[in-house]
Amino acid sequence: MSDKRAKHTSKSKYTLDRQIPGAFEGETVTRRAFMTGTAHTAGAIAATAFTLPALGFAVGPIFKSTPHRWESVGPVDSFSDTNYIPVVMTVTPNIGEAGKTTVYVRKFNPEIDTDPYDRETPYIAISSRCAHLGCPVRWVDAAERFICPCHGGVYDLLGRRVGGPPVRPLDRFYTRVSGEDVEVGPRFSVNSELRRFSPRDPGQPLDGVGQYLYPSRPGAQKL
Amino acid sequence: MPKLPKLPAPPLPAALQEAPPRPSEGKGPSGPLEDAKQAGITVVDWVDERTSLSGATRWLLFRKVPKGTNWFYTLGSATMFAFLSQAVTGVFLAMYYRPDPAGGAYESIRYVTNDVFLGQFVRGMHKWGSSVMVILVFLHMGRTFFFGAYKYPRELNWVIGVVLLILTMVMSFTGYLLPFDQRAYWATIVGVNINGTGPLIGPYLSDFLRGGSEFGATTLSRFYAIHMLLVPGLLAALIGAHLYLVAKLGTSAPPWQKVEKRSELREAEV
Amino acid sequence: MNQREKEEYLREYAILKTQGKPFWPYAVAKDSAMACVVMAVIIAMSLVLGAELGPKANPTTTTYVPRPEWYFFFLFEVLRVIKPPSLVPLATIGVPTLCMILLFLLPFYDRGPERRPERRPIATATGIAVIAAMAFLTYQGANAGSPTTIEMSTPSTVTHTGGSSLAEYEAGKKVVAQSGCLACHKIGENGNSGPGPDLSHVGARLYRQAIARTLVNPTAPMPSFKNLPPQKFTAIVNFLSQLK
Repeated sequence: MSDKRAKHTSKSKYTLDRQIPGAFEGETVTRRAFMTGTAHTAGAIAATAFTLPALGFAVGPIFKSTPHRWESVGPVDSFSDTNYIPVVMTVTPNIGEAGKTTVYVRKFNPEIDTDPYDRETPYIAISSRCAHLGCPVRWVDAAERFICPCHGGVYDLLGRRVGGPPVRPLDRFYTRVSGEDVEVGPRFSVNSELRRFSPRDPGQPLDGVGQYLYPSRPGAQKL
Repeated sequence: MPKLPKLPAPPLPAALQEAPPRPSEGKGPSGPLEDAKQAGITVVDWVDERTSLSGATRWLLFRKVPKGTNWFYTLGSATMFAFLSQAVTGVFLAMYYRPDPAGGAYESIRYVTNDVFLGQFVRGMHKWGSSVMVILVFLHMGRTFFFGAYKYPRELNWVIGVVLLILTMVMSFTGYLLPFDQRAYWATIVGVNINGTGPLIGPYLSDFLRGGSEFGATTLSRFYAIHMLLVPGLLAALIGAHLYLVAKLGTSAPPWQKVEKRSELREAEV
Repeated sequence: MNQREKEEYLREYAILKTQGKPFWPYAVAKDSAMACVVMAVIIAMSLVLGAELGPKANPTTTTYVPRPEWYFFFLFEVLRVIKPPSLVPLATIGVPTLCMILLFLLPFYDRGPERRPERRPIATATGIAVIAAMAFLTYQGANAGSPTTIEMSTPSTVTHTGGSSLAEYEAGKKVVAQSGCLACHKIGENGNSGPGPDLSHVGARLYRQAIARTLVNPTAPMPSFKNLPPQKFTAIVNFLSQLK
C-alpha cells in the first residue's frame, strides 16, 4: 500500500487529482471518458444538423414581414357617413377566395368620429373579424351594432365593444383616396381608446399590460 | 382363483412387422394442405432463428391477465383499433387529397365524395371514425380513472395516455380544416386564435400554425403535414410505448377483485 | 403509497395474475369482439349519416354561423358563457391548460393505496362531476342558437286567437331576430343574457306604449330604433307585448 502511494506521488499533480485508477503519467482524461464525450458530441451535432434547419424552415414565416397592399374598393361617392357598406378585399394574394375578407367602410363623420386618432383617415374601414376569436361579425343596421354569431360579441358604430367577451374593439384598416377611388390598405388594431397598434390576432387585449403580453410580430406591422 | 397376469402378445416376425415411419415421411395426413403448413412452419422457423422474435411474442401473448378482467378492459384495444381504421382510411383519402386553398382542396374532397367508387363511404368512415375514437379515448380514460388503474406502478402509463389524449384532440382539430368547407375554415380560425391568446408565446404559436400572420397559401399544407405525418408518427410511437408498459406491468386487476390467499401461496411468500 | 403498501400491492397483484387466464386467446377474443363492434358502429354511421360536405370556405361571409364539431362543444360553450373580456385568456388558455396539468399529474398527487371507487369518494365525486359538467356544457353548446334566429314555441294565447294575431307574432319574431336584439337580450332560450334585461316576459311588465317609447328613447348603451320602417317597428312592439 505504501509503495503504491509512493508511485502515485511521482505522477503529475493533475493526474493524481483525477484519481483515475491505473492512469499513466500525465493522463487527465481516460480513453473511455474521451470516447463517451465524443459519442455525445458527435451525436448531438448530427441531430442538430437536421433539427435546426427543419425548425428554421418551419418557424421562418413568423419573421418574414409582408409587404403592405392597397386595394381600391369603389368610388368615393358610394359610401355614406352614417352607415357601413360591406366591401370585399384581398388580404392574402394568390389563394383566390380563401385570401379575401369583408371590410365595412364608412365615410369619416366628424360628429361621431371625434377621436383624434380617427381624423387621419378619410374613411373608416372596420374589419369583419370579431376581436374575440375571429368569427365573422355582421353589421345590423337597425340596431347600429356589429354582432358576432359565435360567442355573442356586440360592438357599437365605432367598433367598440358593447357586450359579450371581445377583448378590444374591432380591427380597422388604413384608408386613402386615390383619384376617384377609396383605397383600403393594411390592417391595424386599436385599444379601447381607439389608439392604434400593429395588427394583433383576435383574443389579444391591448389595454394595460395587454400590448406587452401579446407582442407585435414581424409578419404583421402597422403602416 | 387369483387373476393371472395377462401375457404379452407374442412378437411378430420381423418380416410381418410394419416398417417404422421414416422421419421425412411423417405419420400424419399428407397432401397439399399439410405441405403448406410445413412450409409455413419452415418460414416462421427461419425468421425466428434469425430474430428470436418468438420469445417476445410469447412474452406478449401468453402473459396472464389477472382474474376478473371484464369488458371494460377492451376499451383500450378498441381505441387502438379505431386508430388503425383511421390510419388506413386516411392513407386512401390522402391519395386523392390536394392541400390547395385556392379551390383544389374543396374540389378534391367534393370529387372523393361524389365521384370516387366507395369515396363517400371511406370518407364517412374517416369522419365518423374520429368521433368514435375520441369517445373511446374518453371511455378508456374514465375506466382507468374510476378503477384507480393509474396508481403505482402504472403512473408513467397514465402520463403517456394523457399525451395520447391530447394528440388525438390535435388530430381531430387539424383534420377539421382539410375539407375546406365553411365549418372547417371558421373552426380553424377560432382554434388558431385560441392558441393566440396564450400570453407572450401565443402570437408566435398562431403564426407558426398559419405559416404567417394571415391565413395563407401554406396554412392548409401545414395542417395537412401535421395531420398526416407529424402527429400520427408520434401517436404510433406512443401507442407502442403504452402497450409495452401494459405488457410489462400487466393489465390492472379490477379494484373489487378479492385475493384468495391459499395456504401454499402464503407459505411460499414467507 | 409507502414501501410496504407498494410491496403488498405487487404481491396481491402477482397472486391475481397467477389465478388469471392467458392473454391469448381469452383477452384477445374479447378485444377482437369489441373491435368488431367498433367497426360495425363506424360503418353504420358512415352508411347512415354519410359524409356531408358543407358549402366551400368563404372568408368574406357575414351571415355564416360557425359551430365546432360536437366534441369541442364544451369548450365552445365555456367561451360563450364567460363574458367579461378580462377573463377571456382564462377561458381559452387558462382553464384548459390547468385541466390538462391536473390530468397529467393525477398519479402524483393522488398517491393513496386505495383503488376501489367507492372508497375514494373525493376522486370518484370529482370524476362524476367533471363528466356531468362536460355533458351539460356539450348539451348547452349543441343547442346554442344563432343571434339572428329565435326558436321558441308560440304561446297558446296567440295560437288560440289565430289569424292576424298569429301572423303579427311571427312577423315580429322575425324582425326582432334580424334587428340584433338577441345580441344583448335574452328571449326564452335565445340570445345573450346581458347587458340588456331579459325580455322573455317583457309583455307582462310593460304596456305596448311603454315598449314603443323605450325603443325610440332607450337608455344607453341601447341604440334607438326610431329609424326603422313603421311596419317593422309595429311588428317589434306587437311581438314584444305578446311575450307574457
